[in-house]
Parts: sequence; structure tokens; C-alpha cells
Amino acid sequence: MVDKVSFINSKTLRKDAFVKVRGLLKFTNDLEVPGMLIGRIVRSPYAFADIKSFDVSEAMRLGAVVITPDDVPQKPFNPRLVSVNEVTFKDHYVLTRKPRYVGDPIAAVAAPTEELAQKAAESIKFEVERVYEPVLDPFKAMSVESPLIHEKIMKGDEWIEVKNNVAATLNYVEGDVDKAFREADVVIERFFKTGKRYHMQLEPKAVLCVPEADDKITIYTTTQTIHNTRILIHQIFGIPLSKINVVKVPIGGSFGSSIQTNVLVPIAVALCLKARKPVKLTYTREEDMLDHSNFTFNFRIKIGAKKDGTLVGAEFENILDVGAHQIQPYPLLGTSLGWFVSLYKWRNIRYIGKAVYTNKVPGCALRGYGAPEVTWAVEVIMDELAEKLGIDPVDLRLKNYVGLGDVFWGQGPTVRSVIKSDGVPELLTKGKELIGWESRGRPEDKKGRFRRGIGVGRGFHTSGAGGPISGEVIDYSGAVLRLNEDGTLEYITALQDHGGGTLDAHVKIIAEELGVPPELISLATATTENTPYDVCTHASRGTYVGGEAARRAAQLVKQKIFEYATRLLNRVVNPEALKIRYDEEVKQTIIYVEGSPDIKITLKDLARTAWQRNWGTIAAIVSYRATSAPPSFTVYYVEVEVDTWTGKVRPVRVVAGADVGTPINRDLVEGQLHGGFAMAWGMAFIEDTPYNPETGELLSRGLITDYKIPTAQDIPRVEDFKVILANTYEPTGPFGAKGLGEAAMNPAVGAIANAVYNAIGVRIYELPMTPDKLLKAIKEKEGD
Amino acid sequence: MIWVVKITFKVNGQPITLDVKPNELLINVLRDKLKLTGTKYVCGIGECGACTVLLDGEPILSCLTLAVDVNGKEVTTIEGISKNDELSEVQEAFMEEGAIQCGYCIPGFIIMSEYLLRINQKPTEEEIKEYLKGNLCRCTGYVNIIRAVKRASESRTTKTG
Repeated sequence: MVDKVSFINSKTLRKDAFVKVRGLLKFTNDLEVPGMLIGRIVRSPYAFADIKSFDVSEAMRLGAVVITPDDVPQKPFNPRLVSVNEVTFKDHYVLTRKPRYVGDPIAAVAAPTEELAQKAAESIKFEVERVYEPVLDPFKAMSVESPLIHEKIMKGDEWIEVKNNVAATLNYVEGDVDKAFREADVVIERFFKTGKRYHMQLEPKAVLCVPEADDKITIYTTTQTIHNTRILIHQIFGIPLSKINVVKVPIGGSFGSSIQTNVLVPIAVALCLKARKPVKLTYTREEDMLDHSNFTFNFRIKIGAKKDGTLVGAEFENILDVGAHQIQPYPLLGTSLGWFVSLYKWRNIRYIGKAVYTNKVPGCALRGYGAPEVTWAVEVIMDELAEKLGIDPVDLRLKNYVGLGDVFWGQGPTVRSVIKSDGVPELLTKGKELIGWESRGRPEDKKGRFRRGIGVGRGFHTSGAGGPISGEVIDYSGAVLRLNEDGTLEYITALQDHGGGTLDAHVKIIAEELGVPPELISLATATTENTPYDVCTHASRGTYVGGEAARRAAQLVKQKIFEYATRLLNRVVNPEALKIRYDEEVKQTIIYVEGSPDIKITLKDLARTAWQRNWGTIAAIVSYRATSAPPSFTVYYVEVEVDTWTGKVRPVRVVAGADVGTPINRDLVEGQLHGGFAMAWGMAFIEDTPYNPETGELLSRGLITDYKIPTAQDIPRVEDFKVILANTYEPTGPFGAKGLGEAAMNPAVGAIANAVYNAIGVRIYELPMTPDKLLKAIKEKEGD
Repeated sequence: MIWVVKITFKVNGQPITLDVKPNELLINVLRDKLKLTGTKYVCGIGECGACTVLLDGEPILSCLTLAVDVNGKEVTTIEGISKNDELSEVQEAFMEEGAIQCGYCIPGFIIMSEYLLRINQKPTEEEIKEYLKGNLCRCTGYVNIIRAVKRASESRTTKTG
């Protein structure tokens, strides 16, 4: 822990809370400009078809601006620009003549009112040349009989042919797995499958594109990355970056769904360029569900261990259902392996990873980028191994986990670093006591309708995707910090805050470095014009990477403050003699000499003097690359109650433990864990988007009536949700901090699944664990 | 010819007269015509609670309410909850308890919590969950929202003695 921190350990209100509680914060869909047109998208009703021609005459007659595939560049792109170009797989078009899932955009319109735009969109007719039978199963998609969903795509700047609908592959071998299994005392092999979850971020995606008088365009949109949005629009339309300005607008949740630039952005840009008028385009909820959902994971995991619990080898086969377009499943094949190998020391590894196209909504990252899925499967199989070996599951984890001093590569084989902070033993031990682990009992001893069980899950997430060498992932951030003429500060970062309070953490970090209270540091509007590049808020990098960029900017500003102060404080020999702190008595930040209380100046006076004497502005601009991506470890102990008559499960108690290094805002850290657990509960029991096998249409038709997420009634009593934080310090992080957003969820599903087992003695290997699956399993085990 | 209906109602205390179409939804009138964008569109089918407003003091879903149906009545939106920048206990409590993350669902939660505390000064945790179960949040896991409602309830009862 940090000594003598004045702001980091204090509770402060979020900067945006005051506008949010009054409903005054403007999100993208709340923006409007004079003369704005409203856009609507025409979507394919077919899962897989060839379109011959469009008839847009009626839409034109209605006065709408219309675009079809003929009006947009027909160069493939990938909307997610986090990977380096050589491993970016491009198969998207702004509008397509060959729709590959129900909902693929084929045309778009813009008109002065939403009603007119909708009428125009509905009036567009198109002739279909051929309709294919939809391919919805990834295993079937790989068979020779299945039609190719994509024939040719681009990998970087090269055209490549797609074979057997395999979008990307990644294989990896370390050691001799076959030998390890031969020598193991216990070998377990299991198959796992997840649901296709939908992000259900509260804010549907939206964009407002405004043509400016000087040939520029300004874009306001729901994005996790303003800079990559700008680069993508540049790539598609050939507009120079200097002519595109993307403004950072608050986002109403995202959870990975806007790491990529959502396809409505290039569509709105195309409409805007054609209409030469501002265009706003907002998805309905139903459209939003057609824009993105998670990948579906099919795992085969085989592990071997010695009698004493030492792991000797693991084989991991990962077949990803990526949907109709690639939003970079290739790096997901890498991170899936990364999560797997960085959970436990398997010692010998064989990995087979395949990403397969199907005629479904394109899959993209969803909080954890495969970690909740991999961690669920691994934590379940580890639990089974512990039982088979007769070892306490907690002890088995402690014996084999990847921890302090170990090489760690959560973000895939090219992002390696060494672990320097590790709170796992503390969290596992404390959590065990708090939940009452020893008295959890055995499933075979539990009888009656309502049965309770306790389970454990352990995991981690990286803090960003940085590393000492430049690999396949782009990861760096930037910060601008300026001292105003009155002693207040303006902080500008391209890094997006999804709502978790990342930027409040940045402000506190700056406050700590400079001794300036957070309320004097303003979060200024950020655009691609006034910020250095930031890759994206993803991989739980906001606090660790962006926060360190902010700290470094504050450090530079501090040096300049000391230089100016040296000029003002006559007897001071040089800037190094000075210190800065917040003085509680005078309620001012003061620059002073230790031991000489009379030699001092307030920051306010310094700022004003520098202005009046023409010394120039004190400001810093930083571009920062982190050379590691340390793991934030998390541990969940969960108690559930299973109703064996209905198959319904209720959370009884939760102990959520996190090793985030120094918690910058403790209450926000807790909020991440609460939210992570709720999302895990949905993944465990409710969330999936099944398709009509004949038509390839979403069975829910995009209506959330059929896509439930957990409500206030699906969580334990407030007093029964306990949060514990490990007492650790990450030497590479700002004031010792690490990330959390994804780690907050990753091991929770495993803990829940293990708790269900402890209650009723059955394991479900296919998520979600719906009541029908649980009842069937109970029936099979116990008879009628 | 477009058929319009003249309606007169109050929004946050202000009298309003407007021409609306018979099929026009209250949410669109509030957001597009009156620029009260604090009321959020999330699902449009009455499943999420984000567009909740008070109609003569009762919570309704503005995405399922026709504008013509508020004729002669009084609507309170999130913008009308604080009086002259002075926050209500509920708003204060949401801030204090860290109940706000992205904030998109928050207007609906605050409206519903205001209503709950008006009809039940000291709700139990079960009652809070019962009243808020129709409001979806994807960020907070509801824990701090429930804490906030409890806190607001306590500060109200202290004030009113």
C-alpha cells in the first residue's frame, strides 16, 4: 500500500454524477444539429443470399437520400483496428450485395424526419438471385458440403482464399503432451459450450456525422476508441485523417461492443457525404442486437495431473463460432490460449484454435474477450480434478496457479511479461473463511427440495495489452494536461470511460501527483484533433495504461511548475529543492521547501504570475506505452440455492475478492465487482440468442422480451455481497494500481457452476444452465 | 393531410400546448419536441424501465404511452426531480453510494425510486427489489442502487422526523 496518500484513499464523488442524476448528460442520441437528416438502414431478411438489383425509385420520390452497395467503396475492411495490419482479417463492406446473416446492411437512406426515413427504407425493393440455406453450426460449416460464406478475404494487404469456412486458425505446442498424459495419474477430458450472449449495453449504438464548411467531417458516436474510428473512416473513404474529427461522447455502457467501429458509422458517413448534410443514425434495440453479440465457444479440454496434484499437461481445442464477419477472432484465438496457460502451470500444452464462419450476427468481444468462458471451463475441470484426487479445490489452485515471478501472457503469445504483484493466496484464504468453506458439505449428503452449495472460482485479467516488445497488438495511450491561468487544470485524454469511472481514477492520479484536489482538475472535451493516439478502452487498460499516461503528464507539469517556482522564490537554488502538496489549512496547493516553511507559493499565484509575466503556458503532452500487462487476480466464493423442483437457482451469498494493486477509488472497484457478478449470473443461467434453424433469424427477433438479463431480484441481499481487496502494490502501475473491469467477472461463472455442483451433484457443460437442463440432469442422476 | 391533435399538459410544472399525431409516443414528444433528453430510449417495448416518467405522480413507461393520453395531466421527468439545482434525497443518495456507472438507466431508476419512497417511506430490501425489478442496469449489479434507495429512505425519515 502507498504511504501518505492524500487523495487516492479518500472517497470522492464521480465528476459526472451531478449531471447524470439530473438526466442532463448528453449521449450521442441526445445530440442534434440544424438541418440534420435521420438515417435508416435497410437490412437483409435472408441469412445468406445474392442480391441482383435494387429498386430505390420510390425512396427517391419520397425525397430521401439513398445509398446501395454501388454508392460505397467496395474494399473490404475490419472494423476493429487493435491488431497490427498483418494479422487483421478484412471481410466487411459498408453495404453488401451478398448478405451473410439476417440483418446484414444492404442499403441505407436519410430523410428530414425519422418517419419519412423509415417509409423510404421500407420502400426499397431488391431482386434476389439466389438464397442459400443458412449455415448455423460451426462444425457443419467446416464440412465440404457447406457453401463458403466468404470465398476471398484480405489478411493485411493480401487477398487470401477461405477454406472450409475457417476464418482464422492458431495452433500452439509446448513440451510433450502425449508423454505427459501417459505419465499422469489422473486424466480428465470434457467438452464445453457457451451461449451466444448479447451485450445488452443500455445505450443502443448511435452516430451523428456532420459535414463542416472546410471539407472536414465531424463524427460523434458511441465508441470505445475515437482514434480507431477516425482511422477506419480514413481507410474506407480515403479521407485524410486531418479532415476527420471524432469527438468523444459519453457512452451508455459498452462491454466490448464498440471496440470495433460499429457499422452504422461508415453508413452514416456515406450518407452524409452523399447528402452533404448532417446525418444522425441510431439503432433500435432490435437493430442493436443485429449489430453485435459474443462469439460462441466450443471447447475440448483434457488435463492430466499427478496424485499429489501437480499438473503435468493439458490439451485445449477451441472452436469459435464467429458469425458472418470477422471482428478479429484471430487475436481471440490467442487470448483464449493466453487465459488458459496463464491460469495454471500445465507444463505441457497443445492448443488447436479455429475460428469458423456461420450465418449469424458477427461475434465480437464481450467483457473478458474469452476469459469468462475459458475460466469457467478451467475452473470446472479443476474442481473435478480436485475431487478425483481427493484434494481440497482451494489447495489444488494454490499449488498450480501462475503467480508471483512467473511468466504470464494473458493477451496471447506475443504479449508476455513477468508477474510482480500477486494477491491470490490472500484472497483465497480470506474468502474461504468469509464464506464458511469448510462447512459447505458434500452434494451426496444434501436432500430436500431446496439445496445449497458453495463453489470457488479463481481467475484474472490483464491490465491492458502492453509488453516489452511490439507484438501483434497495438497498445499505447496518451494524455494532455494543462495548467490554467487561475491554477485549475485541464486534462484531455482520448481514452473512453465506459461508465466504470476510469477517468475519475485518472483525475485522482493527477491529483495525487500534483497535490491538487480533484475538483480543480477538469475533464475537458476530447477529440481526435486535440489528443494523442489511444488505441481503445479495452483489456481493462483504462486505469493502468491511461492512468500512468496521466501520471506522467502530471509529472512533467510538476517539473515545469518547479522551474517557474524557482524563478519566483528567490533563495531556492534549483527546481529539485522544491516540493508540492495540498495544504489543508489554507485549502491551496503550495510549492514549498521542506524545513523552510516561509519559502512557498501557492499554485494559484504561480499560475497567475506566469501568465502576467509572459512566461508561457505550463502543459504536457504524453504518449505512453506500458511494457507489461500485469494480471489483476480475482476470486469468487459463491453460495447458491437450487430449487430441485423448478430448476431455478438463487444466489445466497457472494464473496468477491480482487487484487487490483492500489485501489484508486475503492467504491468504484466494488461497483465493478457487483456488476461483474450480475453479468456472470446472466451468462451462467439466462443469456443466449438462439436462431431459427431454417431461416437463420434470431428467435427473439431482437426483442429483449426474449433476452432477459439479471434484474434487482437476481442478486443476493446487499449485506450478503462481500468485497475483499488484496493488500498488494503493482510496481509498474500508477501509484501501484492495476485494472479490474473484466477480472471482476471472469471467474464468477466458474464459482457459480461449482456451487451448483456442490448443491445438487450435477455439472452442466453447456451454458446457460437453464432450468430445463438442470431438471433433466437432476432427473438423470436421481430418477423420478 | 396529417391528422394532428392539440394537447395541453404540464411537464415539470410548465404548461405545454402541442400538436401531436394520434399515434405519437410520449417518449418522442419529450425527447424530440421538448428536448427533455434525460428520458432514455433503450428497448421501446416496455421491458427496461429507462423511459419511466411520472404521470400525475404514478410511474408510466413513456415508450408505451400515447402523447394524447397525457392531455390535461401532469408529467414529471428526470429533469423535474431536482428543484433549482437542489438535488432530491434520492439523487444525492445515488451519488453518495456510487450507484451510478454509465448512467443511461439512472433517470428511470431515480424516477421509480422517488415514486417508491413517496408511497412507502421505509421500504424493506425486498420491497425495493420488487419496485425496481422492471428497471434494467447492466453496469452496477444493482447492489449500490439498492443501498442508495435505503440511504435516501433514511435521510428522508430523519428529515421528516
